[in-house]
Amino acid sequence: MSECVAAHGCITCGDEAIPMRVVRVDTERSLALCSNPDGERASVEIALVQPVMSGEVLLVHAGTALARAAAGEVPT
Amino acid sequence: MKFVDEFRDAELGRVVAGEILAAVEPDRHYKIMEVCGGHTHSIYKYGIDDLLPPNVELVHGPGCPVCVIPMGRVDDGIALAHEPGVIFTCFGDMVRVPGSTQSLLDAKAEGADVRIVYSPLDALRIAKQNPEREVVFFAIGFETTAPSTALTLRRAKAENVQNFSVMCSHVTIVPPLRALLESPDLRLDGFIGPGHVATIVGARPFQFLPDQYGKPVAISGFEPLDLLQSTLMVLRQLADGRAEVENQYARVVPWEGNLRALEIMSEVFTLRPHFEWRGLGFISQSALRLSDAYAEWDAEQRFAVPGVRVADPKACQCGEVLKGVIKPWECKVFGTACTPERPIGTCMVSPEGACAAYYNYGRFAREREVA
Repeated sequence: MSECVAAHGCITCGDEAIPMRVVRVDTERSLALCSNPDGERASVEIALVQPVMSGEVLLVHAGTALARAAAGEVPT
Repeated sequence: MKFVDEFRDAELGRVVAGEILAAVEPDRHYKIMEVCGGHTHSIYKYGIDDLLPPNVELVHGPGCPVCVIPMGRVDDGIALAHEPGVIFTCFGDMVRVPGSTQSLLDAKAEGADVRIVYSPLDALRIAKQNPEREVVFFAIGFETTAPSTALTLRRAKAENVQNFSVMCSHVTIVPPLRALLESPDLRLDGFIGPGHVATIVGARPFQFLPDQYGKPVAISGFEPLDLLQSTLMVLRQLADGRAEVENQYARVVPWEGNLRALEIMSEVFTLRPHFEWRGLGFISQSALRLSDAYAEWDAEQRFAVPGVRVADPKACQCGEVLKGVIKPWECKVFGTACTPERPIGTCMVSPEGACAAYYNYGRFAREREVA
């Protein structure tokens, strides 16, 4: 339940997306290992935004990358 | 955080607030609906409404996906969770939503195997790890979330995962907006459009708001400056006598949406003729079910789902809150019998629900009088 923090809004089921940086890409399975701004890693579906490269930042909602993040969403 | 800080710049916020003040007529009352629950949450988290003139009122719309699920649908999910051998998976907020007699969390306490997942892919993974069990995913959410479910179902089909199914309760954003505008309860001047729904569907579907109802729209991002700027865009349209769809969140939202997502959604889903929304009643073509090509993975075809209809508790006024007719603090049970710890209505469950946003950020009563 740690992803669902009241103070930050629920990212699992609302209309929210979080910026995650691509660490490693598995093109064949359409998955990427991504890291969120806190450094936590998760496997993300990238079918909607392929091709994706390591280092890019994606807006991720419910485990799926919806779009590439623009400058405004890019975490350092 | 670099860049994000720029969208939270307090000084710039005050500048935009000054421009908002200059854009409004002092003797006119403005009602602008932010459709998305994520926006509602941001508005109270950052105190956006305190920066607005008293005659600019933000009305909270039906865009919290947990809040709009009717009680009967929750009961249906709980019935599935109690089926022998079933692992019932859902997003975190959904487990606390009260059904007519219990929540999914209560069902779990009674022994049902209810598991919280972050993504539908996690539910599919559980299915692959437990081939002897039936794994059901309770899919909720607007067009932002539906592509995740669609991609997961595609994966389940490609990998022929037979013990996985989806109880599809995905909803679409345009029909409830139309229903709200047809309702005599509410007079709205304009809309702050949902940024991440629009990432998928694009800005184009909101064109009916200016074309058919003469209402200005600004599709908005989620940072404080995004919301202030979107409010300003709507107010400037009103001042100029314009009504159009403006895209404040153009750095992410394309006019045409994500075509790949729309294509996958149209393959996996089809529109339901009717769907019941909490507080809004039945709205035609407002929700998705699995298409015939994915019927094998449809939990409602695999199991006997009761399909019960349950009236909301009498004390609960979530319906009026969802329609923007009353503010959360005007509900009789707000903050007393109904709190985030012990919610009666859905709007108090999800952090994106208007009641929870008001409660969590201390808005227990009207703090300013509208001129």
